Amino acid sequence: MIHFDNLTKRYSGGYEALKGINLNVNAGELAFLTGHSGAGKSTLLKLLMLLERPSSGTLLINGKNINRLANSKIPAYRRQLGVVFQDHQLLMDRSVFDNVALPLQVAGQSRKEIGRRVRAALDGVGLLLKERHSPAMLSGGEQQRVGIARAVVHKPRILLADEPTGNLDPGLSAEIMALFRRFQDVGVTVLIASHDIDLINQMNCRIIRLEQGMVADDGGTHGSVF
Amino acid sequence: MAQSSSAKVRRGAVAPKIGLFGLIRAAFEHHSHTFQDSLKRLAKDPLQTLMTASVIAIALSLPATLFLVVDNARQFENNFESFSQITAYVDNSANQKQIATIKTQLQAIPEVAAVMYISPEQGLQEFTENSGFGSALKYLESNPLPPVFIIEPIADVALEANQVQPLLAKISQIAEVEDTQIDMLWLQRLRSLTQIGQQIVFALGFVLGLGVLVIIGNSIRLTIHGRREEIIVVKLVGGTDAYVRRPFLYSGMLMGLIGAMGAALIIVIGFWWLSGSVAQLSELYNSQFRLHSLGVQGCLALIAVGASLGLSGSWLAVTRHLKDIKPR
Ligand SMILES: Nc1ncnc2c1ncn2[C@@H]1O[C@H](COP(=O)(O)OP(=O)(O)O)[C@@H](O)[C@H]1O
Ligand SMILES: [Mg+2]
Repeated sequence: MIHFDNLTKRYSGGYEALKGINLNVNAGELAFLTGHSGAGKSTLLKLLMLLERPSSGTLLINGKNINRLANSKIPAYRRQLGVVFQDHQLLMDRSVFDNVALPLQVAGQSRKEIGRRVRAALDGVGLLLKERHSPAMLSGGEQQRVGIARAVVHKPRILLADEPTGNLDPGLSAEIMALFRRFQDVGVTVLIASHDIDLINQMNCRIIRLEQGMVADDGGTHGSVF
Repeated sequence: MAQSSSAKVRRGAVAPKIGLFGLIRAAFEHHSHTFQDSLKRLAKDPLQTLMTASVIAIALSLPATLFLVVDNARQFENNFESFSQITAYVDNSANQKQIATIKTQLQAIPEVAAVMYISPEQGLQEFTENSGFGSALKYLESNPLPPVFIIEPIADVALEANQVQPLLAKISQIAEVEDTQIDMLWLQRLRSLTQIGQQIVFALGFVLGLGVLVIIGNSIRLTIHGRREEIIVVKLVGGTDAYVRRPFLYSGMLMGLIGAMGAALIIVIGFWWLSGSVAQLSELYNSQFRLHSLGVQGCLALIAVGASLGLSGSWLAVTRHLKDIKPR
């Protein structure tokens, strides 16, 4: 599903954040990306979201080379993804419902369909009763669950999360991770960047450890179909 | 919190097939939603909206007013076309037969549309009636007025000063005609004034139109800045450039529209206020001239211009400033 081939990312300042990455994440797999701060986890996810372009190497998604994807094709590509951020990127001037509806709205779905799917997604993260609330009125854990609902409302095949539990205490973090596990169960490919080693180890999943822009360890393939 | 583990994840539900009709309906829903959203945003900050709209209204009303003034002046010119007639004074000694000959000679000139003869007696009578000097005129021994022909040139000639001179020459060539007189110099002056006025309208319209573009562009630039976060999120979830642009285009168009409506209101009220005194003045001069205002078509045209300027201004701003916002 996701295939990195000798991928290098050099930022405009000349700094090489990723150096010759070779990776393969299969469809339906749940994998963690870990490593110290500055190791290149976010950079790797940004390449997948096409927020950054690789400097060299090949990036295949679902067999398609996205290195040379035209700028005009980026929106359509991003709609296949679900993305979750540490700072959840929710819009505080609109309701929980409207936040979650955004990926469907940009895809031009009908109002009826949007209502149906948003409620299903909110139900999935246990926030159906808070659809009219502003995200500002929710707790940190709830906000992150809204972020997850928004990431999955359009049923993406790939779910990318960058430090989704970074701001949460261990109990809430475990709940969020359990949510991701459920998405994997229904066939979504999930890639989560996190430096919370304790939590990751509990998950019993594949762990890819980055170090200074290189894959230092691609062990722990427990529970995956690799 | 705890209910999250008990909640079901509904995945893999069968998505209903969307036909062409569904797509159109969704697009319509989206547009009307975006439009309403833009309206709400303008209403949310009424002071800012009002200020921007007023500036646009003033900027639009200036050239539009001048345009109307010029248009009225031209209407006025046309109204006074009968003034561009030629009076030919005939020698007092001319007899009836000579008068008849002159008339046929005048009528034979191709540039002449109509000829009217006023005998000295008729002239005196008219003068007595109109001037109020009737009793004084009684003391005159003889009628001092010469026989007069009022000559109306065909329309083409009446409008062009350089064509009138050859016509005058032709009329003067008739032996008994002593003098000719045209009454259109002031009309010529007015005409060149309206021509200059027209040019000023274009120049002013151009400059102030650019001004409106800048005002709206700047306002949209601020809006884009204020909604930066939202733009980023929309792009992250796969919003196209067109989707991101749309609300700003609607806002700009609405702003231009509201401003133009304000301008139309200013003009209609201003002209309505003036029209009374103009009509009075015009009656004093025995004229049919009436000030004409914008009218429904003019209002609609002005509003269309305002909306297009708004759309263009926001388009320019959006194209320029969205590029600065990452992600692409
Ligand atoms: N836009 C950028 N320009 C230049 N350097 C960057 C940029 N983004 C990240 N980096 C650098 O790349 C390295 C990897 O960063 P990042 O991928 O964010 O690491 P991580 O997410 O693992 O903490 C860091 O040293 C960081 O300073
Ligand atoms: Mg990071």
